Amino acid sequence: MSTETELLKQMDLGANHLPYVIPIHPNLVHLTLGLFIVAISFDIVAVLFPVEKALFKYLAIPVTRSGLFDVGWYNMLGAAVITFFTVASGFYEMILADPIPDVKSAWGLQALDTMVWHGVGGVLLLTLIVGMTVWRGFQRFAWRKDMARQVQWGYIAVGLVIFGIMFLQGTLGAHLGGEFGIHTTADQLIQVGENPDLRL
Amino acid sequence: MLDSLLPPLNEHNLPYPDTIHPIVVHFVIAMVLFAFVCDIVGYFTRNPKLAEVSWWNLFFATIAIFIAVIFGQVEAGLAEPYSAAVSTLNLHTLIGWSLSGILAGITGWRYVIRSQNKPQLPMPYLVASVALVGLVIVQTYLGDLLVWVYGLHTVPVVEATRGGTL
Repeated sequence: MSTETELLKQMDLGANHLPYVIPIHPNLVHLTLGLFIVAISFDIVAVLFPVEKALFKYLAIPVTRSGLFDVGWYNMLGAAVITFFTVASGFYEMILADPIPDVKSAWGLQALDTMVWHGVGGVLLLTLIVGMTVWRGFQRFAWRKDMARQVQWGYIAVGLVIFGIMFLQGTLGAHLGGEFGIHTTADQLIQVGENPDLRL
Repeated sequence: MLDSLLPPLNEHNLPYPDTIHPIVVHFVIAMVLFAFVCDIVGYFTRNPKLAEVSWWNLFFATIAIFIAVIFGQVEAGLAEPYSAAVSTLNLHTLIGWSLSGILAGITGWRYVIRSQNKPQLPMPYLVASVALVGLVIVQTYLGDLLVWVYGLHTVPVVEATRGGTL
């Protein structure tokens, strides 16, 4: 028996190969994606504010452009803070992963390739989100402090490119859970020949 | 006969590549929790900007939850849960529909508070938002059980169900 399996045995892992019932990483992912996407979306709404003004008036919702930009800033800040934990928990749970062998994902990748790409994507996205937050901060507090339009078009464009990277990253993550059965209790039980209906 | 008009289902038992409901719920979970964090930080720092950020996050969450319920209902209908998973799916469905009403109600309340221009949020509202956050966390946990413990819509579970071994 290798030292690695010796160490894993000491951890008292469940059938899902985790020391707890549900994985933490996918839950923090809700926060990273929700906060980032809403931040960029509100900056888009704020940039296009002159066009939408009449609609908000019709809906009787009082709106200030600076209020919309506030969402763009604070949500982005929140995304940057939480994503350190999203990536940290992701690497912890990746170390404990026990993928179903000899399976190819819908994208034709093996489990290890999918994990490597998802890991690289996670570090890349963390870097991009922190970079976007710094960029956003400079626009808000320095470069465009006294301008009605708080963000540059380039910032919005990069934000939309990051949406695309997030889609790829999210699909790889979905493959890890839903196709390779990583940390999915029922899949792991089926893999060792047990019936989840009797065990859960 | 009618079956031939419906799109074919893949190895996740879905007519499209992956589940959509767990993606849409990002915008309910993250926005409700962040709105609450903004209210708490805003309460202590007395930063009126955070009250506005909180309101817009709730507004977004309210639109998102109805889309989440629609996809949730479609994907629950295609989940073919085995007996052990049924009660969790039922409770998740019940709380999901209820939350759509509760969240819309609290967002409406927030709209009224916002239009009154008061310096602080009323205590009953803060109590209600604590309850809302609690309900969202419970609901997220139940959804986690359906995906990560019962493995609904995962390839091995769908395969076992189709093969008659589950």
